[in-house]
Amino acid sequence: MLKKPNLFKRIFMICCGPGKHQLLRVSLFCIFLSLLAGSVLLLLLGKNPFEAYRSILQGAGILPKTRYAGKKSQLTDFMSLLNYTTPMIFAALSVAVALKSGIFNICVSGIMVFSGFIATILVGYSSLAPIIAKPLVVLIGVVAGGLIGVLIGYLRHRFNMNEVVVAIMLNYIISYVVSFFIQTRFVDPITRQSVEVGQNARLTLFDYPIMNLKMEINLVFPLALITVFLIRYFITRTRFGFELQAVGLNSKASNYAGINVGKTVITTMLISGSLAGLAGVSYYLGSNASIQPRVLPALGFDSIAVALLGNTSAIGSFFASLLVMIFDSGTTYMSSRMQVLREIAALITSILLLFSAIGIFFRALANRYAREVEEV
Amino acid sequence: MDTLVEFRHITKRFPGIVANNDISLSIQKGEILAILGENGAGKSTLMSMLFGMQIPDEGDILIRGKKEHISSPLVANDLNIGMVHQHFMLVENQSITENIIMGIEPKKRYFGLFPYVDIQSSKEKVRELSKQYQLEVDPESIIEDIPVSTRQRVEILKMLYRNAEILIFDEPTAVLTPQEIESLLGIIKNLRDSGKTIILITHKLDEIKKIADRCAILCKGKMVGVFDVASTTTQEMSALMVGREVSLTLSSTEHKRGTEVLRVEGLSVETNEHIRKVDKVSFTLHRGEVLSIAGVAGNGQVEIADAIAGLLPVKEGAIFLAGKDISGCTVRERIESGVAYIPEDRQSVGLILDFPLRENLCLKQYYQDPYSNSRGVLQKQEMESLAKQLISTYDIRSGSGVNTLARSMSGGNQQKAIIAREINLQADLLIFVQPTRGLDVGAIETIHKKIDELRAQGKAILLISLELDEIMELADSILVLYNGKVQTIKQASEMTKLEVGEYMMGVHVEKA
Repeated sequence: MLKKPNLFKRIFMICCGPGKHQLLRVSLFCIFLSLLAGSVLLLLLGKNPFEAYRSILQGAGILPKTRYAGKKSQLTDFMSLLNYTTPMIFAALSVAVALKSGIFNICVSGIMVFSGFIATILVGYSSLAPIIAKPLVVLIGVVAGGLIGVLIGYLRHRFNMNEVVVAIMLNYIISYVVSFFIQTRFVDPITRQSVEVGQNARLTLFDYPIMNLKMEINLVFPLALITVFLIRYFITRTRFGFELQAVGLNSKASNYAGINVGKTVITTMLISGSLAGLAGVSYYLGSNASIQPRVLPALGFDSIAVALLGNTSAIGSFFASLLVMIFDSGTTYMSSRMQVLREIAALITSILLLFSAIGIFFRALANRYAREVEEV
Repeated sequence: MDTLVEFRHITKRFPGIVANNDISLSIQKGEILAILGENGAGKSTLMSMLFGMQIPDEGDILIRGKKEHISSPLVANDLNIGMVHQHFMLVENQSITENIIMGIEPKKRYFGLFPYVDIQSSKEKVRELSKQYQLEVDPESIIEDIPVSTRQRVEILKMLYRNAEILIFDEPTAVLTPQEIESLLGIIKNLRDSGKTIILITHKLDEIKKIADRCAILCKGKMVGVFDVASTTTQEMSALMVGREVSLTLSSTEHKRGTEVLRVEGLSVETNEHIRKVDKVSFTLHRGEVLSIAGVAGNGQVEIADAIAGLLPVKEGAIFLAGKDISGCTVRERIESGVAYIPEDRQSVGLILDFPLRENLCLKQYYQDPYSNSRGVLQKQEMESLAKQLISTYDIRSGSGVNTLARSMSGGNQQKAIIAREINLQADLLIFVQPTRGLDVGAIETIHKKIDELRAQGKAILLISLELDEIMELADSILVLYNGKVQTIKQASEMTKLEVGEYMMGVHVEKA
């Protein structure tokens, strides 16, 4: 009784099966599935899914809207998208780098709060000249984030503590300690958040007039782009990248080959932490200007799914960040234009994140089918 | 005798190779049939078709004269076919009984309502079976507490519990010590005498000679023939299986001992769980010498190797390499000062399975000139040319050259890759741990020749092996370890195999 794979299996294997560009195909398949699931949701609500997706793209500045308010255009929408994407790129890179070395860094949120807070109180409330203040903010982000990263790496290496547990605890510790200081020292009595940082320290220029338009210009977006390529080069081409991957794939064999596993783990977490720190400053002193006490940024957790959607590669993380943020920033426009509740619109982003996190499962499943077919 | 199993013109193809090419074979009831062949000759494929893990592309399998389509191990089970795999399939933290009944648990109901597994009667049945076939086990022991040989018995009991009539053993002796092998061979004979039919996949000729009735030889996917074991010599068998004449014993020439390379003084090693595995061991090793550490598995041999290579910390004592104490050095410092190490576990220690061959062949040199430049950037071209050179020199076979993932290579080729990498380090000291484990005669011959060659070049070689034959063949001097203590160190020529075996069992105690 020869078993021929059914049509569904065959299509699934074309999408996710082993072969050329399998990782990319799986990611695209995940995106497709989430769009499909979103369509079902929208159809249930009686909305036209194509129209809805178009409005998401319009909202994100990828497609032109029919009408624009004064001093706004497709370009301003697009620049706003880049502004919100920047912290996500850093956060996703942070997760991706750690995962390459076999470490699950879920402390991105905590590190973001920490580095954002340190930069806020050290530079955000100062009256330094912008030309000094802004680079200083970036530097503080890198250092503060790196410190937390090293702490996690050290605890894991020295005491063999599970980094996930450490990270969860650190998230809480950072969140509560920071909110203690905000509420006792830096609180804005009206918003109940930390006092807004000065324009001199912000990494995003809001309402910046260019060509009769009011633009949001994220000054660290170019840095994010450069970082993507740097990380890629670093992981695939350098000696340390070799060690990082070796340790991630097999730490026993790495130790046998003379690689200093502890040093590699700690250095990896230094880099991962620094990237999370950059995400923190570009979030709290960029797209936002204040810190909400006792709230960990959802972006830090979303970045895990984003990094997975991007196959933990640097370039992949960049495109996945962009895609998720297109959804994220486009849904606001969609909800107003299609008269869909904002929550429903946000749900579509969540579905995308959900499906992107299970790409690994699809890959494993497709590989299993492929083996079955081979055997038959 | 009746024919129990018949393969008729079986062909099985895998992408790129024909694993079994038109094989016909019939197996008689109540015999021990050995299936002999090199790695990749198609032995396992043929048997996995009988056990339902693979399905033949062409040809038929007849069981008791009836054509059967064995589509899964469950079907095989129903046909009373059982298999003991090379890697045991047991749940570590369950008891022997639980493992044996798994999948066919006898169920009873409390008050005729609540189902539960009737472990009590199963225990009795296991006990009975173990008595009947002289396979002593305690049905209540937990798998993780019992030694490898007992685990194998559990696997055999698992088949018997399922009323298997045809028992397939896939290289059952690969993991056993010489004494355990003896007792296993006894068990297999017993099983045959009580009417079971045994198929034994192996590449150890002496075992076949000892117990098998007939021997089917496969070579490169083709059936060479079925031979009567009693009237065929081991020389003939190995020639047929390799397709060429193999010299079973090396003509090891006398070498002059050179200067001292390694000196171990009062070495004690503890595992990470603070169990003392090596107790005050001292020895010296010279250029042009093969020192072999003999011992039953788990008596501290591997820990000595790990301590010299730096993978385990030295608890007491010192290790001198060319007169310099290296016991405090990092792994990398030791590699650089001339220690090459072929570890016991080639898959989880020796290689990074998800790295391509190129990276694996450079695993210990990637950071040095010319594989990395002074700014820490890898030079992939250089790595590739090294890998290509090693692949051709050592005849490492792989699907897609330097880009093949180590995971997809066969065990023999994985081992060749490790040996190639380590020899290429040009170290003065080479530590080989079980270098030929699980390899076929051809590969073993290559590795033994290589070791002999290295000795001739004046390298110092520490050979740790569980195969006494290998030790007797290669070693210049033999150190026997028992319970982490040195029993004796002697010139190989001063000891017989039997004596070494006695020392290994702790029978012979050296008088001071």
